[in-house]
Amino acid sequence: MNLDWLDAFLLFGVFEVVMVIGLALLLHLQIGLVRIANFGVVGFWGLGAYAFGASFTKIDWSLGEPWPFLISVVVGTIVAGLGGLLVGWLIADLDTDGVLVGTLGFATAVVILVTTQDGLTGGALGMSGLRFPFDIGKTKANELLWFGILVLVVGAIFYYVARVHRSPYGRLLIAVGDNEPLARSLGKPAFRAKLWLFAIASAGMGLLGIMSATMFHLLIPEAIGINVTLAAIVALVLGGTARVWGAVVGAILTVGLFEILVQFYLPFPRSWYTQAIPVLREMVFGAALIIVLLVRPLGILGDMRRDKLVRRMHRG
Amino acid sequence: MGDIRNVAAATRPQIRIEGVKKSFDGRVVVDVDELILGGHPIEGLIGPNGAGKTTLMRMIMHSTRLDEGKIAYRRGDGDDEVVLSNLPTHRMADIGIVKSNQVIQDFDNLTIWDSLLLAVAEASNERSYQIYREKRVFEAHAEDIRWYLERFPFEDPNGFAKSAGEKKMLDIIRCLLLRPEVLLLDEPTAGLPEDLRDDLMEVVKEKSTTENMLVVIVEHDLEVIWTMSDYVHFMAEGSVILRGEPDWIREHETVVEKYLGSGHVAG
Repeated sequence: MNLDWLDAFLLFGVFEVVMVIGLALLLHLQIGLVRIANFGVVGFWGLGAYAFGASFTKIDWSLGEPWPFLISVVVGTIVAGLGGLLVGWLIADLDTDGVLVGTLGFATAVVILVTTQDGLTGGALGMSGLRFPFDIGKTKANELLWFGILVLVVGAIFYYVARVHRSPYGRLLIAVGDNEPLARSLGKPAFRAKLWLFAIASAGMGLLGIMSATMFHLLIPEAIGINVTLAAIVALVLGGTARVWGAVVGAILTVGLFEILVQFYLPFPRSWYTQAIPVLREMVFGAALIIVLLVRPLGILGDMRRDKLVRRMHRG
Repeated sequence: MGDIRNVAAATRPQIRIEGVKKSFDGRVVVDVDELILGGHPIEGLIGPNGAGKTTLMRMIMHSTRLDEGKIAYRRGDGDDEVVLSNLPTHRMADIGIVKSNQVIQDFDNLTIWDSLLLAVAEASNERSYQIYREKRVFEAHAEDIRWYLERFPFEDPNGFAKSAGEKKMLDIIRCLLLRPEVLLLDEPTAGLPEDLRDDLMEVVKEKSTTENMLVVIVEHDLEVIWTMSDYVHFMAEGSVILRGEPDWIREHETVVEKYLGSGHVAG
């Protein structure tokens, strides 16, 4: 297959956009529906990636390909989910400030852990040897296939989230987010609902972390910095926390515009790309966040508009 | 004769409140030696502001903790007693006890239909992996919900509850849809126009007989109490100091002196 037309850097840029869409969709379940302001997205993302990496590279697998890889993916996802269960259990009944500090603290703890536990994680030097579970020829072809799998995974997340909005489960989540004591008085187990949702979304974030680490073949502590969380939050808030499409629109307008337009089509000096661009990105994202919150606090797509959805749902 | 009365009492749900105390910052708000709710289908609980009525209701629902004492519940089918103060709040509805709210409570992002479907949806249809259950829930309960929506006028049932009155009505309909054994109504008619108030109370009365439901009403609108209740408990300063038939309570010296004022008797 001739893939000369495909710019490898562009592929990585689009990969990141789709990955952030996935993160923002999961974050939408947490922030948009049950109103748990998770500022530790990267903690679960990194925990999943590192657990996967440790399982894949440190265990002496006697099984043939692709089993070590697939089992490690499951291990990483479950570890991220368990992390979510633990953090969720600690923060589910706290107010917004408590949740913010708790999740942010968790993400920091993960960075410190992967830096210090170098026997397992490679420490500051990082963890290499993460490779695709397949080999169909050229590097670029493998990367393109992996990107295709990511699109399928994020597509499945989108489908799930959209279905949740149309199911009694979604109604329960919105009710818990709106008025927890009232939901409880109607017999709804609010705490359990929040806890499970948090754990499931965290597991999903872990899976996306695994996919990202595999694409880059490398995991270093710098990769699990606040910028991942920031990208997901800015995308979601800009697009609209309450709507499913908010995550998609937001991610394309933020990470999409920046990664693809700025990195590829604007004539910045070459030397900027390592130092100035990442900083510029954080500044632009921060500014976008402030402007959106001032001008259109509900994001570009605005309110949930449940009335329209419910009418459509029960028409047929 | 005694036997017959026992049988009758056993088929009605009953809440037994024993030696229950609650104080906030050292001030005793509730101090009830013994109170049994459930001797009659509809019971009123009245008393001046600060008598502890709302706190007592909240203690039954276990949304306010007890300092001392015990609140026990026996279902209409005569099962063993359940100690309510051991249960988490969300279990109350499961065992058949629901309460409407004194202060208006609503879900801002749920429409009227949403809100009612939420109330009736079973836990088995609300699990995270059940993402195709909307139709099932809707078909099982739409008729029930439509009955209420036809009976009570909402400006736009497909939209959100707008006025305070609509929200109040929605709150009570949500409770009724759960078909509880015990329905606690905390000032159900505050903010409702008179015709709606009468309509709503008529439905409550209807349900209390057709569904063998115990209704306890806390209310300042005494007209509701006198017309609805079969029995009235009078609370003052945290304790239940009088109980009896509405007509007897209405004219009792203590009630008149502490609550109604002498004008009421003449009227």
